[in-house]
Formats: sequence, structure tokens, C-alpha cells
Amino acid sequence: MEYTIANVAPIFLAPFFAFALNCLLIKKAPKLVDKVSVLGILVAFVFAIRIAVDFTGVANTDYYIHKVFTWFDLGETFKIDMGIYIDNMGAIMLLMVTGVASLIHIFSTWYMKGDVRYERFFLYMSLFTSAMLGLVLSDNLLSVFIFWEIMGFCSYSLIGFYFEKEKAGYASIKAFMTTRVGDVFFLLGILAIWHTVGSVDFVSIYNAVQAGAFGTTVSFLGMEVGLAAFAGVCIFLGTIGKSAQFPLQVWLPDAMMGPTPCSALIHAATMVAAGVYLSLRMYPMMVAGDLLNLIAMIGGITAFGAATIAMIQTDLKAVLAYSTISQLGYMVLGIGVGSYNAAFMHLITHAVFKACLFLSAGSVIHTVHTQEMPEMGGLRHKMKWTWIAMWCCTLAIAGVPIFSGFVSKDRILGDALYTALHAGLGYKYAVPALLGFLGAFLTPFYMCRMMFLTFHGKPRDQHIYDHAHSEHLKLNQNVPLLILSVFTLGMFFSGSLTGLGKIPAPVVPTEWFKTLVDSPTNNLERFSTYTKQQFGSVDTRENRVLEKTVYDSEAMTGYAGPNPDNKDGLHHAHVEGAIASVVIVACSIFLAFLMYIRGTIDPGKFVKMFSGWVTALKNKYYFDEIYIDVIIQKGLLKFNNFLAYVDMGLYDRYAIDGWEKVSRTLYRASRWFDDNVVDNTVDAFGVLAKTGHAVLRGLQSGLIQIYFIVLIIALAIMTVWINFIV
Amino acid sequence: MFGLEWYLGISLVLFFVGIAVILSRKNIVAILLGVELILNSAALNFVAYSRFVTQNLDGHIFSLFIIVIAAAEAAVGLAIVIRYFQINNTIHVDEAKELRG
Repeated sequence: MEYTIANVAPIFLAPFFAFALNCLLIKKAPKLVDKVSVLGILVAFVFAIRIAVDFTGVANTDYYIHKVFTWFDLGETFKIDMGIYIDNMGAIMLLMVTGVASLIHIFSTWYMKGDVRYERFFLYMSLFTSAMLGLVLSDNLLSVFIFWEIMGFCSYSLIGFYFEKEKAGYASIKAFMTTRVGDVFFLLGILAIWHTVGSVDFVSIYNAVQAGAFGTTVSFLGMEVGLAAFAGVCIFLGTIGKSAQFPLQVWLPDAMMGPTPCSALIHAATMVAAGVYLSLRMYPMMVAGDLLNLIAMIGGITAFGAATIAMIQTDLKAVLAYSTISQLGYMVLGIGVGSYNAAFMHLITHAVFKACLFLSAGSVIHTVHTQEMPEMGGLRHKMKWTWIAMWCCTLAIAGVPIFSGFVSKDRILGDALYTALHAGLGYKYAVPALLGFLGAFLTPFYMCRMMFLTFHGKPRDQHIYDHAHSEHLKLNQNVPLLILSVFTLGMFFSGSLTGLGKIPAPVVPTEWFKTLVDSPTNNLERFSTYTKQQFGSVDTRENRVLEKTVYDSEAMTGYAGPNPDNKDGLHHAHVEGAIASVVIVACSIFLAFLMYIRGTIDPGKFVKMFSGWVTALKNKYYFDEIYIDVIIQKGLLKFNNFLAYVDMGLYDRYAIDGWEKVSRTLYRASRWFDDNVVDNTVDAFGVLAKTGHAVLRGLQSGLIQIYFIVLIIALAIMTVWINFIV
Repeated sequence: MFGLEWYLGISLVLFFVGIAVILSRKNIVAILLGVELILNSAALNFVAYSRFVTQNLDGHIFSLFIIVIAAAEAAVGLAIVIRYFQINNTIHVDEAKELRG
């Protein structure tokens, strides 16, 4: 396939134009708005399919497009090229985002029907999706940052969509401000990279990393920090903010104040995926900065901590929100243990099943008009299709074999186990691996608890149960869920039924995901052969395919992931990990079954046993309290008041008011000077002119003979003067 | 027998007669005649100095130019007078004081 601007740009532009067109239509033709939005994302989906098919067509090769145009040019040192950069990872990401987003759009036409601001919702959704697609297509950190911020704005608008509710308004502000903390560091990281490399596009950064350009140190707050570590930490802080990692995870649970389809978009396809995607793109930087252990720790803590909170939630969407944080923790853990391919695969599989879970939750909430699970129960008789779809996704997220979560999550856990046991790095990685496995035990438990409480057992609130409508198969209610639940099967991602690559499935005989999406650190050298092309030039697949090369650079000082040569160790770790997690999942589901279906174990006993911990969980480990009471009230507010005092008490009072006094005096003096000296001088000239006029006017009589007499007299005087006096 | 003094004397007489004419007559045409007298007195001076002092033809040529210019000046002056008469129906010099300040 030939690539020009015409068949790449529409992926981003179709939803964006849908947004722009809807801005015009929203008052004039509100009936068209949802159709335009859905059409926009479907067009993008079609183009994304084309690209994904082309990119994933031939295994064992690496295919990329990198096209640029100059955005602005202010001389050598300040030139920004904007452009499109797609490689295999970007192509798969585009397919996922457009596919999931289009199903969410279609579902929204059912869920939001009759809502107060139905049209405006689609407006934001289109902009949100287009920003995410723009981010995926970006070839440099600066345009990533631009789209990143557009997404921040859209999430703010969508979380605060029901702004009549006070909580929704506060939740939107909380989300915006929390992610802003990460964004500031992200911008700092971009500047550090720009300063070092002189460019912010990915390929230049990879080349600079390969050339060891980040070997120098920078002085930061008096400490000497390695430049790669500094820039890497800054960019990873952006990820922490956007992908709701510990310690900036507080915004995501509140983000469910928005409408449920927008939660699906935020939690699955767009917002939180962007953070992980950025870290994957900047992975060589993380390795060069030796940050993987830190990343693994953060991921492990997030994965386990969020899972524990999810266990005691009673709100259906809150369980899903915490499970999102937990699963994002697994992705970050995957990056941290160098499991690049599996982390990205988990991003894709998670996007599919989490979108489906949220849409199913939306379907339930719309039917029963409550979010509290204690008021539900027994809904499987009323909502058959939603029940099936949601069980598929629950099994996927739980990591049951055959489903996609098993394929991706157990690769991450296998790599974590390998790193902890076989990589010879001591026990630095033991804690993340342990936290990962503990989280893997909790995940099936809280997900099955949610399913049992919602769909199984007897209806706990007969009134709600009786008023729930029985579900029929609807194109924009259940069909998107069922489509998504089909793709929770693991074979779509691994090419084999078990996910272990043993049984070749008839459709895709190779493990295409593992082949195509390879860690850049394994073959960073190939980026030196990448070239930018101006827009307008045509390139085809033939002249863009590179054979993969294996790379081993001195610049890569940090741990860069499992050594692919150690096949035995890897195999053992993965088999051990897989067996362990299957056992864990089985125990966990059985425990949930005993607790919530059979009732042989009373959950209340555990609550009593761990009452202190449960209180902490109910308060979300006191993070909100720490941030608000300690950091904001005790720290930032005091600082704010101090700054206000400096501004108003000192600066305004002495500098501004003092200057006012000085200028008032100056004004008086200059006014006196103006009134007396300047004005009198001007008046004197007036008097002079007036007098001179009176004299000279008499001479100008108009009588020619008088003039002549004057002339003669003047001549006579001159003659006498010249002859007798001079 | 007639030296330079004679010529200068006649020239002086002509000059003052011209001035007297300009100052005393109220008819614009008469004033123009006075101007002609003054011009001629100057021309006479040139010729006289040329003859008695410098002994060359420079003064003669100057006087020829003066005669030509006097003719042109008279023509222009008379044209103005005729035009003025057509408009104001008079050539009395005291009536012509539109340029009074």
C-alpha cells in the first residue's frame, strides 16, 4: 500500500472534523450530531484497519512510516517538525483505539438517549478520540504533549458532564489538577530532552540514546542526576499522572462521576492508555536511565494496592475503576521488568475487556437505575446478553486460560518471576513480582464478587428487580458488548488457544504480537536507518521494510529486560508463573464462590478479622486525606498564604503604593512646570505674533506707490550705509 | 568735450524723473512709462562706463539685453493693465489695492 497524507491523516482528522462539524450542527441540527460522530469514528476505523492489515501482514519484519512537515522554523536551534510516525506498535494501537471507540460511540447512542446534553456528549467524545488518535500518530514528544493536554481537557469536561451534581464538578477539577502534576514534569522532561538532543522526535531520541548522548549529568536541586534518569523520571511522572499510578491514582476512582460510556473511553481506549503508551515509546530512555526497578516497584504497588481497595467497594463502577488502576499497574510492572511486548499486549487486551466491562456496567446501571451492588442481585434472568458479555470479560481480567488476560498478564508475571529469580539482580525485583502475584490472587476475587453480587443469587431489592426491563438484543445496546467479548479470547492475541504458543490456531499460525511488537532496546540500531520524509512523497511497503537486527549497545547500562538468549530460564519462569497463576486464579474464584454463592464462608468474619485494614481500605488508604489535609492544607495552603502575603502585604503595599507616591509627586512637579513655564512660553509667542502682525499689517497697504516709496527709502538708507558708514 | 560726468548726469536726471513719475502719477500706464525711464537710465550707465572705463563691448551687450527685457516687461505690464481694465473698468493705481493685508 502506498502512504501519503491522504490515507493516514483521516484517522485523526475524521473524528476531529466530526467534532468541528458538530460544533456548528449542535444548535442548528441536533438530530445529526450523534450520526456525524459515529460516522467520523467509523471512517477512522476503516483507515486504521487498512494500516493494521498492511503492517501486520508479513512477520519478522519491521515496517514504519515517518513523515513530517515543518511546523515553525526560527533558525537552526528552534525548528519544530510535526509529523506522523507509525510502526507496528502504533498500527495495532490505532486499530484498538478506533475499534473500541467506535463501539463505545454506538453504545452511547443507546445509553445517553434522552439525556439532557445528549449532543454535547458526542461533541466531547469525538474530540477525545481524535486527540488520542493524534497522540498515537505523533512522531514527537511536543505534539504528544499537545494531544495529551487536549485529552486532559476532554476528560475534565466529560467527568464533570453532570455538573449539576456538586460531586461531579469537584471530581472533574480533581482529575484535571492531579494529572496536571504529572504533566508539569512531563513538560520538564521534554525540555531536558530538547536541550540535549536538539529535537524531540522519537527517532532522534532513540538515536541519541544509542549514541550515548544522555551520559552527562544535570544539576537538579543541588544534586547531580544522570540526564537520562532525570528526563526518564520526568516523563514517567507524566505516565503516573495520566495512567493513575501510585501515588497520583486518586483521580481515577472519582472519574466515574461522568457518564458510563465516557468512563469506558477514559479507562480503556484513550486517557489512561496514553500514559502507558508514552512510557513504551520512551522505553529506551527508561532503560538508559536505569529506571526499570523504580517503574516495576510503582507498578507492583499500584497493582496490589488498587486490587485491595476494589475488594470492599459496593459501587459497581468503583470496582471497575479500581480494577483499571490495578491493571494499569500490571502494565507498568511489565515495562518495569522489561516485558515490553507483554506490557503493550496487556494494554490492548485490557482496553478491550475493560471497555466491555464498563459498557456492561452501563447497561446494568441504565436498566436498574442504581450503582450500588447490594441493591442488585439475580439480574442474570433479566439481562442475559449483558451477563454473558460481562462474564467473558471477568474471566479475561481474572486471567483464566483461553481468555486474553491470561495471555498478557501471565507473560508480565512470568517475566517478573524470571527477573526476580533468574536475572541475577539480587532481590530488588522480588517485591514487585510478589506484589504482582498477590494482585493476581485478588483480581479474580473482586471481579467474581462483583459478578456474583450483581447477577447471581436472589434479588436483594425486589422493587428494583421488578422494575428492571427484560433485555432484548439491541444493535446499540448488547451487540457492541458481544463484539467486544468475542475479542476477549486469547487466541486473537497469542495465536494459540492456551496462550503458551503450543497449539497453533488455524487462523494465525504465528505469535504475531510477539513477533511484531518488539522492544526497541533489542534492536535500537534499526532506528538509525529510519529517515524522515516530507509530506507529499509517496512510500510503499516495499521500500520501507527492514529486517530486524539485534542490538547490543554500551549505552544501555540499565537492566533492559529478560535476556532472550536464556531460553531455558525464560521457559521455566513462564511455565512456573503460568502454573502458579492458574492455581491462584482457581483458588481465588473458588473462594469468591464459597463466600458469595454458597455462603459457607461469611465475608463478615474477614471484615472483623482485618477491621483496621478494612477501615483503611474504605478510606482508600487515606490518600485523599493525606493530599487534602496534609499536603494541601498544611503545606500548599500555608505556602499559598505566604505568597499572598508577599504579593498583597509586601509588594502591593510597599512597591506598588510607594511607586504611586513617587509618581504622584513627579506628576505634581511636572504639572507645575507645564502650567507655568511651558504655557507662558507658548503664550509669549502668541503675543509676539499678534504685535508683529499689527505692525506689519499696516505696511501691507496694497498701494503700489507706497511700496515703491519704502523701496526707495530702503535703497537710500543702504546707499548711505554702504558709502559713509561701513 | 562731453566726458563721463555728462552721461552720468543725464542718467541721474533720467532716473529721478522716472522715480518722480512713478510716485506722482496715478495712471498705471504712466507708471510703466516711468519704469521704462529708470531702465533706460541704467542702460545709459552701462554704455557710458563701457565707453570711458572698460573700453570693451560688455556694457553694450548688457544694454541690448536691458532693451529686450524692457520690451518684454512692457508687453507683460500692458497686458496686465488691459486685463485689469476689462475687469475693474479703471486703471487708477489707488483703486488697485486688492493685495492689502
